[in-house]
Amino acid sequence: MGPGDASSADMRRPPFDPLALDDDTVERLVTGDLPPAQVPPAYARVAQLLAAAAAAPSPGELAGQARVLAEFRAVTRGRRFATATFRPAPAPRRRRRTGLAVVVVAGALATGGVAGAATGHLPGPVREAARTVLGGAGGAAPATPIRPGPAPAAATHPAGAGDAGPHGSRPGVATSRGPGPSAGAPAPSPNLKGLCQAYAKAYAAGAGQGAAMEAPAFQALARAAGGEDKVSVYCEDLLPGDQRLKEPKDKDAGSSENTRNPGDPESPGGGTPGQGGPPPAPGGGDQNRPGRGL
Amino acid sequence: MIGPDFPDVLGAAARGDEEAFGRLWHDLQPRLLRYFRVASAAVADDLASETWLGVVRGLDRFQGNEPAFRAWVFTIARHEVLDWRRRAARRVAEHQPPDGLADPAAPDDPAADAMERVATREALAMVATLPADQAEAIVLRVVAGLGVDRVAAIMGKRPGTVRVLTHRGLRRLAEHLGDGGRVRKVV
Repeated sequence: MGPGDASSADMRRPPFDPLALDDDTVERLVTGDLPPAQVPPAYARVAQLLAAAAAAPSPGELAGQARVLAEFRAVTRGRRFATATFRPAPAPRRRRRTGLAVVVVAGALATGGVAGAATGHLPGPVREAARTVLGGAGGAAPATPIRPGPAPAAATHPAGAGDAGPHGSRPGVATSRGPGPSAGAPAPSPNLKGLCQAYAKAYAAGAGQGAAMEAPAFQALARAAGGEDKVSVYCEDLLPGDQRLKEPKDKDAGSSENTRNPGDPESPGGGTPGQGGPPPAPGGGDQNRPGRGL
Repeated sequence: MIGPDFPDVLGAAARGDEEAFGRLWHDLQPRLLRYFRVASAAVADDLASETWLGVVRGLDRFQGNEPAFRAWVFTIARHEVLDWRRRAARRVAEHQPPDGLADPAAPDDPAADAMERVATREALAMVATLPADQAEAIVLRVVAGLGVDRVAAIMGKRPGTVRVLTHRGLRRLAEHLGDGGRVRKVV
Protein backbone atom coordinates (compact mmCIF):
# COMPACT_ATOMS: atom_id res chain seq x y z
CA MET A 1 0.00 0.00 0.00
CA GLY A 2 1.40 3.32 -1.05
CA PRO A 3 0.51 6.67 0.32
CA GLY A 4 -1.92 7.21 -2.45
CA ASP A 5 -3.83 4.13 -1.46
CA ALA A 6 -4.03 5.29 2.12
CA SER A 7 -5.57 8.60 1.23
CA SER A 8 -8.05 7.11 -1.12
CA ALA A 9 -8.89 4.59 1.56
CA ASP A 10 -9.60 7.47 3.88
CA MET A 11 -11.83 9.06 1.36
CA ARG A 12 -13.72 5.87 0.81
CA ARG A 13 -14.00 5.20 4.45
CA PRO A 14 -17.36 6.67 5.45
CA PRO A 15 -19.46 4.49 3.20
CA PHE A 16 -17.72 1.37 4.43
CA ASP A 17 -17.46 2.26 8.04
CA PRO A 18 -20.64 3.54 9.57
CA LEU A 19 -18.89 3.68 12.90
CA ALA A 20 -16.26 6.15 11.78
CA LEU A 21 -16.00 9.21 13.96
CA ASP A 22 -13.98 12.35 13.53
CA ASP A 23 -12.38 14.07 16.48
CA ASP A 24 -14.82 16.91 16.50
CA THR A 25 -17.79 14.58 16.63
CA VAL A 26 -16.17 12.62 19.44
CA GLU A 27 -15.62 15.79 21.36
CA ARG A 28 -19.17 16.93 20.91
CA LEU A 29 -20.60 13.54 21.75
CA VAL A 30 -18.60 13.43 24.91
CA THR A 31 -19.53 16.91 26.01
CA GLY A 32 -23.16 16.44 25.10
CA ASP A 33 -22.88 19.23 22.63
CA LEU A 34 -24.20 17.40 19.63
CA PRO A 35 -27.83 18.00 18.63
CA PRO A 36 -29.61 14.68 18.06
CA ALA A 37 -30.03 15.48 14.39
CA GLN A 38 -26.29 15.66 13.97
CA VAL A 39 -25.48 12.47 15.78
CA PRO A 40 -24.27 9.84 13.34
CA PRO A 41 -27.00 7.22 13.14
CA ALA A 42 -24.75 4.47 14.39
CA TYR A 43 -24.11 6.52 17.52
CA ALA A 44 -27.67 7.46 18.38
CA ARG A 45 -27.80 4.95 21.17
CA VAL A 46 -24.36 5.86 22.34
CA ALA A 47 -25.45 9.46 22.61
CA GLN A 48 -28.43 8.38 24.70
CA LEU A 49 -26.21 6.26 26.87
CA LEU A 50 -23.79 9.08 27.48
CA ALA A 51 -26.66 11.38 28.32
CA ALA A 52 -27.93 8.86 30.83
CA ALA A 53 -24.48 8.50 32.33
CA ALA A 54 -24.34 12.24 32.85
CA ALA A 55 -27.96 12.69 33.87
CA ALA A 56 -28.97 14.86 36.78
CA PRO A 57 -28.27 13.32 40.15
CA SER A 58 -30.85 11.17 41.80
CA PRO A 59 -31.77 11.73 45.44
CA GLY A 60 -30.03 8.52 46.34
CA GLU A 61 -26.75 9.85 45.08
CA LEU A 62 -27.10 12.84 47.33
CA ALA A 63 -27.85 10.92 50.45
CA GLY A 64 -25.16 10.90 53.04
CA GLN A 65 -24.36 14.58 53.04
CA ALA A 66 -24.76 14.73 56.79
CA ARG A 67 -22.07 12.16 57.27
CA VAL A 68 -19.63 13.94 55.06
CA LEU A 69 -20.33 17.23 56.76
CA ALA A 70 -19.65 15.61 60.10
CA GLU A 71 -16.28 14.51 58.83
CA PHE A 72 -15.69 17.94 57.43
CA ARG A 73 -16.49 19.47 60.78
CA ALA A 74 -14.19 17.13 62.62
CA VAL A 75 -11.27 17.69 60.30
CA THR A 76 -11.62 21.43 60.01
CA ARG A 77 -11.97 21.86 63.73
CA GLY A 78 -8.83 19.96 64.31
CA ARG A 79 -7.08 22.00 61.70
CA ARG A 80 -8.36 25.39 62.61
CA PHE A 81 -5.95 25.91 65.44
CA ALA A 82 -3.13 25.16 63.09
CA THR A 83 -4.44 27.34 60.35
CA ALA A 84 -5.13 30.27 62.60
CA THR A 85 -1.88 30.16 64.41
CA PHE A 86 0.73 29.03 62.01
CA ARG A 87 -0.57 29.21 58.52
CA PRO A 88 -2.84 32.12 57.96
CA ALA A 89 -1.66 32.66 54.43
CA PRO A 90 -3.80 30.13 52.57
CA ALA A 91 -6.97 31.47 54.16
CA PRO A 92 -6.63 35.20 53.96
CA ARG A 93 -10.30 35.93 53.71
CA ARG A 94 -11.51 35.21 57.16
CA ARG A 95 -14.53 36.98 58.32
CA ARG A 96 -13.97 39.84 60.60
CA ARG A 97 -14.53 38.09 63.85
CA THR A 98 -12.26 35.21 63.08
CA GLY A 99 -9.62 37.56 61.82
CA LEU A 100 -9.81 39.39 65.05
CA ALA A 101 -9.40 36.25 67.02
CA VAL A 102 -6.41 35.24 64.98
CA VAL A 103 -4.70 38.50 65.64
CA VAL A 104 -5.54 38.44 69.28
CA VAL A 105 -4.47 34.90 69.73
CA ALA A 106 -1.28 35.41 67.83
CA GLY A 107 -0.60 38.23 70.20
CA ALA A 108 -1.41 36.14 73.17
CA LEU A 109 0.85 33.40 72.04
CA ALA A 110 3.61 35.75 71.22
CA THR A 111 3.52 37.52 74.49
CA GLY A 112 2.77 34.36 76.34
CA GLY A 113 3.64 34.64 79.94
CA VAL A 114 4.19 38.33 79.83
CA ALA A 115 0.54 38.44 80.30
CA GLY A 116 -1.01 41.81 80.71
CA ALA A 117 1.74 43.82 79.11
CA ALA A 118 1.02 43.49 75.44
CA THR A 119 -2.56 42.35 75.45
CA GLY A 120 -3.73 45.35 77.31
CA HIS A 121 -5.94 45.62 80.26
CA LEU A 122 -9.41 44.39 80.45
CA PRO A 123 -11.54 46.49 82.65
CA GLY A 124 -12.99 45.15 85.85
CA PRO A 125 -13.89 41.52 86.18
CA VAL A 126 -17.48 40.63 85.80
CA ARG A 127 -17.09 37.22 87.09
CA GLU A 128 -20.65 36.56 88.08
CA ALA A 129 -22.02 37.90 84.87
CA ALA A 130 -19.62 35.85 82.89
CA ARG A 131 -20.55 32.74 84.75
CA THR A 132 -24.17 33.36 84.08
CA VAL A 133 -23.76 34.13 80.46
CA LEU A 134 -21.38 31.34 79.80
CA GLY A 135 -23.44 28.83 81.66
CA GLY A 136 -20.55 28.06 83.87
CA ALA A 137 -22.81 27.68 86.83
CA GLY A 138 -24.02 24.31 85.65
CA GLY A 139 -20.71 22.74 84.85
CA ALA A 140 -18.50 23.54 87.73
CA ALA A 141 -14.82 23.31 87.13
CA PRO A 142 -13.59 20.04 88.57
CA ALA A 143 -15.60 17.84 86.27
CA THR A 144 -12.69 17.01 84.05
CA PRO A 145 -9.07 16.93 85.01
CA ILE A 146 -7.18 19.84 83.67
CA ARG A 147 -3.82 18.96 82.38
CA PRO A 148 -1.80 22.09 82.24
CA GLY A 149 1.45 21.36 80.59
CA PRO A 150 1.09 18.73 77.92
CA ALA A 151 -2.30 19.66 76.62
CA PRO A 152 -1.41 22.73 74.62
CA ALA A 153 1.72 21.18 73.30
CA ALA A 154 -0.23 18.25 72.01
CA ALA A 155 -2.75 20.57 70.55
CA THR A 156 -0.19 22.33 68.51
CA HIS A 157 1.36 19.26 67.03
CA PRO A 158 -1.02 18.76 64.20
CA ALA A 159 -0.21 22.24 63.21
CA GLY A 160 3.42 21.53 62.72
CA ALA A 161 2.84 18.37 60.84
CA GLY A 162 2.51 18.88 57.16
CA ASP A 163 3.10 22.55 57.36
CA ALA A 164 5.82 23.44 54.98
CA GLY A 165 4.91 27.05 54.74
CA PRO A 166 7.74 29.43 55.40
CA HIS A 167 5.05 31.87 56.38
CA GLY A 168 4.47 29.97 59.54
CA SER A 169 7.02 31.94 61.43
CA ARG A 170 5.44 30.38 64.46
CA PRO A 171 5.49 33.33 66.73
CA GLY A 172 7.10 32.02 69.83
CA VAL A 173 4.93 29.02 69.64
CA ALA A 174 3.85 26.78 72.42
CA THR A 175 6.44 24.20 71.59
CA SER A 176 9.09 26.35 73.06
CA ARG A 177 7.35 26.77 76.32
CA GLY A 178 4.63 24.22 76.37
CA PRO A 179 6.64 21.45 77.94
CA GLY A 180 8.18 23.93 80.30
CA PRO A 181 6.40 23.33 83.56
CA SER A 182 6.77 19.91 84.98
CA ALA A 183 3.78 17.71 84.76
CA GLY A 184 2.76 18.20 88.33
CA ALA A 185 3.10 21.93 88.31
CA PRO A 186 -0.06 23.53 89.59
CA ALA A 187 0.30 26.60 87.44
CA PRO A 188 -1.03 26.15 83.94
CA SER A 189 1.35 26.89 81.15
CA PRO A 190 1.62 30.48 80.04
CA ASN A 191 0.42 29.39 76.69
CA LEU A 192 -2.99 28.49 77.97
CA LYS A 193 -3.01 31.63 79.98
CA GLY A 194 -2.40 33.59 76.83
CA LEU A 195 -5.23 31.79 75.15
CA CYS A 196 -7.48 32.60 78.05
CA GLN A 197 -6.56 36.21 77.75
CA ALA A 198 -7.31 36.14 74.09
CA TYR A 199 -10.54 34.37 74.77
CA ALA A 200 -11.49 36.97 77.30
CA LYS A 201 -10.77 39.70 74.83
CA ALA A 202 -12.68 38.13 72.02
CA TYR A 203 -15.50 37.56 74.41
CA ALA A 204 -15.43 41.12 75.61
CA ALA A 205 -15.23 42.36 72.06
CA GLY A 206 -18.81 41.33 71.68
CA ALA A 207 -18.53 37.82 70.53
CA GLY A 208 -19.93 35.95 73.48
CA GLN A 209 -19.12 32.36 74.10
CA GLY A 210 -20.51 30.79 70.98
CA ALA A 211 -18.75 33.10 68.66
CA ALA A 212 -15.58 33.22 70.66
CA MET A 213 -15.37 29.48 70.62
CA GLU A 214 -15.91 29.52 66.94
CA ALA A 215 -12.51 31.05 66.56
CA PRO A 216 -10.26 28.19 65.60
CA ALA A 217 -7.48 28.72 68.02
CA PHE A 218 -9.78 28.33 70.98
CA GLN A 219 -10.42 24.75 70.18
CA ALA A 220 -7.11 23.99 71.80
CA LEU A 221 -8.24 25.87 74.82
CA ALA A 222 -11.48 23.94 74.83
CA ARG A 223 -9.55 20.70 74.76
CA ALA A 224 -7.44 21.78 77.65
CA ALA A 225 -10.48 22.87 79.58
CA GLY A 226 -12.31 19.67 78.86
CA GLY A 227 -14.99 21.14 76.68
CA GLU A 228 -16.18 24.36 75.19
CA ASP A 229 -18.63 24.97 77.96
CA LYS A 230 -15.90 24.66 80.54
CA VAL A 231 -13.58 27.21 79.05
CA SER A 232 -15.05 30.10 80.94
CA VAL A 233 -14.68 28.44 84.28
CA TYR A 234 -11.28 27.22 83.36
CA CYS A 235 -10.11 30.67 82.41
CA GLU A 236 -11.73 32.20 85.41
CA ASP A 237 -9.41 30.19 87.55
CA LEU A 238 -6.45 30.98 85.43
CA LEU A 239 -6.51 34.69 84.87
CA PRO A 240 -5.68 37.47 87.27
CA GLY A 241 -8.72 39.31 88.47
CA ASP A 242 -8.49 42.21 86.13
CA GLN A 243 -8.37 40.07 83.04
CA ARG A 244 -11.27 37.82 83.61
CA LEU A 245 -14.14 37.41 81.31
CA LYS A 246 -16.38 40.32 81.04
CA GLU A 247 -19.66 40.92 79.37
CA PRO A 248 -19.69 41.56 75.70
CA LYS A 249 -20.37 45.17 75.15
CA ASP A 250 -20.29 45.41 71.40
CA LYS A 251 -23.48 43.46 71.00
CA ASP A 252 -24.38 44.49 67.53
CA ALA A 253 -21.03 43.54 66.13
CA GLY A 254 -21.21 40.14 67.72
CA SER A 255 -24.83 39.44 67.11
CA SER A 256 -24.15 37.98 63.71
CA GLU A 257 -23.95 34.68 65.53
CA ASN A 258 -23.15 31.73 63.43
CA THR A 259 -24.44 32.98 60.19
CA ARG A 260 -22.03 31.16 58.00
CA ASN A 261 -23.41 32.58 54.86
CA PRO A 262 -21.81 30.86 51.92
CA GLY A 263 -22.00 33.69 49.54
CA ASP A 264 -19.24 35.42 51.33
CA PRO A 265 -18.86 38.40 49.06
CA GLU A 266 -15.26 39.00 49.78
CA SER A 267 -13.14 39.14 46.73
CA PRO A 268 -10.78 36.27 46.10
CA GLY A 269 -7.52 38.00 45.71
CA GLY A 270 -7.93 40.35 48.58
CA GLY A 271 -5.52 40.06 51.39
CA THR A 272 -7.33 42.96 52.91
CA PRO A 273 -6.47 42.63 56.51
CA GLY A 274 -9.72 42.58 58.34
CA GLN A 275 -12.83 44.00 56.81
CA GLY A 276 -13.11 47.27 58.57
CA GLY A 277 -10.41 46.20 60.88
CA PRO A 278 -10.91 44.60 64.21
CA PRO A 279 -11.95 47.40 66.48
CA PRO A 280 -10.73 45.94 69.74
CA ALA A 281 -7.38 44.38 70.31
CA PRO A 282 -5.86 47.74 71.02
CA GLY A 283 -2.16 47.85 70.51
CA GLY A 284 -1.74 44.17 70.24
CA GLY A 285 -3.57 44.00 66.97
CA ASP A 286 -1.28 46.08 64.89
CA GLN A 287 1.97 44.82 66.10
CA ASN A 288 0.96 41.28 65.49
CA ARG A 289 -0.54 41.65 62.11
CA PRO A 290 2.66 41.03 60.21
CA GLY A 291 2.73 37.64 61.86
CA ARG A 292 -0.14 36.50 59.68
CA GLY A 293 2.20 36.23 56.81
CA LEU A 294 -0.09 37.71 54.26
CA MET B 1 -20.87 23.19 37.89
CA ILE B 2 -20.86 25.86 40.50
CA GLY B 3 -19.81 28.56 38.09
CA PRO B 4 -18.90 32.15 38.86
CA ASP B 5 -19.44 31.64 42.57
CA PHE B 6 -16.80 28.99 42.67
CA PRO B 7 -13.88 31.03 44.04
CA ASP B 8 -16.01 32.29 46.88
CA VAL B 9 -17.46 28.90 47.59
CA LEU B 10 -14.07 27.27 47.59
CA GLY B 11 -12.61 29.96 49.81
CA ALA B 12 -15.43 29.68 52.28
CA ALA B 13 -15.18 25.91 52.35
CA ALA B 14 -11.46 26.13 52.95
CA ARG B 15 -12.22 28.30 55.95
CA GLY B 16 -14.51 25.69 57.34
CA ASP B 17 -17.83 26.92 56.06
CA GLU B 18 -20.06 23.87 55.97
CA GLU B 19 -22.62 25.24 53.63
CA ALA B 20 -19.98 26.10 51.08
CA PHE B 21 -18.44 22.70 51.43
CA GLY B 22 -21.89 21.24 50.98
CA ARG B 23 -22.15 22.93 47.63
CA LEU B 24 -18.87 21.42 46.49
CA TRP B 25 -20.02 18.05 47.69
CA HIS B 26 -23.39 18.37 46.06
CA ASP B 27 -21.80 19.12 42.74
CA LEU B 28 -19.20 16.40 42.76
CA GLN B 29 -20.54 13.54 44.83
CA PRO B 30 -22.84 12.12 42.14
CA ARG B 31 -20.03 12.30 39.62
CA LEU B 32 -17.68 10.58 42.00
CA LEU B 33 -20.16 7.84 42.72
CA ARG B 34 -20.61 7.20 39.02
CA TYR B 35 -16.91 7.14 38.43
CA PHE B 36 -16.51 4.62 41.20
CA ARG B 37 -19.52 2.70 39.97
CA VAL B 38 -17.65 2.05 36.77
CA ALA B 39 -14.28 1.48 38.36
CA SER B 40 -15.31 -0.68 41.28
CA ALA B 41 -19.02 -0.69 41.83
CA ALA B 42 -19.26 -2.64 45.03
CA VAL B 43 -17.35 -0.14 47.10
CA ALA B 44 -18.36 3.09 45.43
CA ASP B 45 -19.69 4.59 48.63
CA ASP B 46 -16.62 3.78 50.62
CA LEU B 47 -14.33 5.13 47.98
CA ALA B 48 -16.35 8.31 47.78
CA SER B 49 -16.08 8.76 51.53
CA GLU B 50 -12.36 8.25 51.43
CA THR B 51 -12.05 10.69 48.59
CA TRP B 52 -13.93 13.37 50.47
CA LEU B 53 -11.77 12.87 53.45
CA GLY B 54 -8.78 13.53 51.25
CA VAL B 55 -10.49 16.58 49.82
CA VAL B 56 -11.28 17.95 53.25
CA ARG B 57 -7.73 17.49 54.38
CA GLY B 58 -6.25 19.18 51.39
CA LEU B 59 -8.86 21.83 50.85
CA ASP B 60 -6.99 24.69 52.45
CA ARG B 61 -3.95 24.02 50.30
CA PHE B 62 -5.74 23.74 47.01
CA GLN B 63 -5.49 26.63 44.61
CA GLY B 64 -7.11 26.81 41.25
CA ASN B 65 -10.31 27.30 39.33
CA GLU B 66 -13.27 25.01 39.15
CA PRO B 67 -12.02 22.66 36.45
CA ALA B 68 -8.75 22.38 38.27
CA PHE B 69 -10.58 21.61 41.47
CA ARG B 70 -12.62 18.96 39.79
CA ALA B 71 -9.52 17.43 38.32
CA TRP B 72 -7.87 17.48 41.72
CA VAL B 73 -10.82 15.73 43.32
CA PHE B 74 -10.78 13.06 40.64
CA THR B 75 -7.08 12.63 41.03
CA ILE B 76 -7.72 11.79 44.65
CA ALA B 77 -10.56 9.54 43.58
CA ARG B 78 -8.34 7.67 41.20
CA HIS B 79 -5.77 7.07 43.89
CA GLU B 80 -8.50 5.64 46.04
CA VAL B 81 -9.46 3.25 43.29
CA LEU B 82 -5.89 2.15 42.76
CA ASP B 83 -5.38 1.67 46.48
CA TRP B 84 -8.54 -0.31 46.73
CA ARG B 85 -7.54 -2.51 43.82
CA ARG B 86 -4.19 -3.20 45.38
CA ARG B 87 -5.78 -4.17 48.63
CA ALA B 88 -8.41 -6.25 46.87
CA ALA B 89 -5.79 -7.97 44.78
CA ARG B 90 -3.93 -8.86 47.92
CA ARG B 91 -7.05 -10.27 49.50
CA VAL B 92 -7.94 -12.16 46.38
CA ALA B 93 -4.47 -13.56 46.05
CA GLU B 94 -4.83 -14.90 49.53
CA HIS B 95 -8.35 -16.19 49.42
CA GLN B 96 -9.69 -16.73 45.95
CA PRO B 97 -8.74 -17.44 42.42
CA PRO B 98 -7.73 -14.13 40.83
CA ASP B 99 -10.53 -13.98 38.34
CA GLY B 100 -13.00 -13.63 41.16
CA LEU B 101 -12.15 -9.95 40.97
CA ALA B 102 -12.62 -9.60 37.29
CA ASP B 103 -16.13 -8.34 37.55
CA PRO B 104 -15.89 -4.78 38.69
CA ALA B 105 -19.49 -3.88 38.05
CA ALA B 106 -22.30 -5.24 40.10
CA PRO B 107 -25.33 -3.97 38.25
CA ASP B 108 -27.81 -6.01 40.21
CA ASP B 109 -26.57 -4.75 43.50
CA PRO B 110 -29.71 -3.54 45.30
CA ALA B 111 -27.75 -0.72 46.84
CA ALA B 112 -26.84 0.43 43.38
CA ASP B 113 -30.46 0.24 42.40
CA ALA B 114 -31.32 2.67 45.08
CA MET B 115 -28.49 4.94 44.21
CA GLU B 116 -29.18 5.75 40.65
CA ARG B 117 -31.86 5.98 38.12
CA VAL B 118 -32.10 2.86 36.06
CA ALA B 119 -31.00 4.46 32.83
CA THR B 120 -27.96 5.93 34.48
CA ARG B 121 -27.12 2.69 36.17
CA GLU B 122 -27.42 0.70 32.99
CA ALA B 123 -25.39 3.22 31.09
CA LEU B 124 -22.60 3.03 33.65
CA ALA B 125 -22.76 -0.74 33.68
CA MET B 126 -22.42 -0.69 29.95
CA VAL B 127 -19.44 1.60 30.07
CA ALA B 128 -17.94 -0.67 32.69
CA THR B 129 -17.82 -3.50 30.18
CA LEU B 130 -15.22 -1.61 28.17
CA PRO B 131 -11.53 -2.14 28.70
CA ALA B 132 -10.67 -0.34 31.88
CA ASP B 133 -8.73 2.56 30.41
CA GLN B 134 -11.36 3.23 27.78
CA ALA B 135 -14.07 3.19 30.40
CA GLU B 136 -12.10 5.49 32.63
CA ALA B 137 -11.38 7.96 29.87
CA ILE B 138 -15.04 8.09 28.93
CA VAL B 139 -16.28 8.49 32.48
CA LEU B 140 -13.79 11.21 33.26
CA ARG B 141 -14.77 13.05 30.15
CA VAL B 142 -18.51 12.53 30.23
CA VAL B 143 -19.37 12.23 33.89
CA ALA B 144 -16.62 14.21 35.52
CA GLY B 145 -16.85 16.74 32.74
CA LEU B 146 -13.12 17.12 32.35
CA GLY B 147 -11.23 18.14 29.25
CA VAL B 148 -8.80 15.93 27.40
CA ASP B 149 -5.73 17.48 28.94
CA ARG B 150 -6.95 17.11 32.49
CA VAL B 151 -8.05 13.56 31.91
CA ALA B 152 -4.66 12.83 30.44
CA ALA B 153 -2.97 14.27 33.51
CA ILE B 154 -5.16 12.27 35.83
CA MET B 155 -4.60 9.02 33.97
CA GLY B 156 -0.92 9.65 33.46
CA LYS B 157 -1.24 9.42 29.69
CA ARG B 158 -0.75 11.74 26.78
CA PRO B 159 -3.73 13.72 25.51
CA GLY B 160 -3.51 11.91 22.21
CA THR B 161 -3.81 8.63 24.00
CA VAL B 162 -6.86 9.79 25.85
CA ARG B 163 -8.42 10.81 22.56
CA VAL B 164 -7.76 7.40 21.11
CA LEU B 165 -9.10 5.64 24.18
CA THR B 166 -12.25 7.73 24.11
CA HIS B 167 -12.72 7.16 20.44
CA ARG B 168 -12.26 3.42 20.73
CA GLY B 169 -14.52 3.26 23.71
CA LEU B 170 -17.32 5.05 21.93
CA ARG B 171 -16.89 2.91 18.93
CA ARG B 172 -17.04 -0.22 20.93
CA LEU B 173 -20.14 0.98 22.69
CA ALA B 174 -21.75 1.62 19.36
CA GLU B 175 -20.89 -1.89 18.29
CA HIS B 176 -22.36 -3.38 21.43
CA LEU B 177 -25.47 -1.30 21.25
CA GLY B 178 -25.81 -1.88 17.56
CA ASP B 179 -25.88 -5.62 17.58
CA GLY B 180 -27.65 -5.98 20.89
CA GLY B 181 -30.33 -3.58 19.83
CA ARG B 182 -30.63 -2.31 23.37
CA VAL B 183 -28.45 -1.60 26.32
CA ARG B 184 -27.65 -5.10 27.27
CA LYS B 185 -27.85 -6.29 30.76
CA VAL B 186 -24.30 -7.02 31.65
CA VAL B 187 -23.45 -10.14 33.56
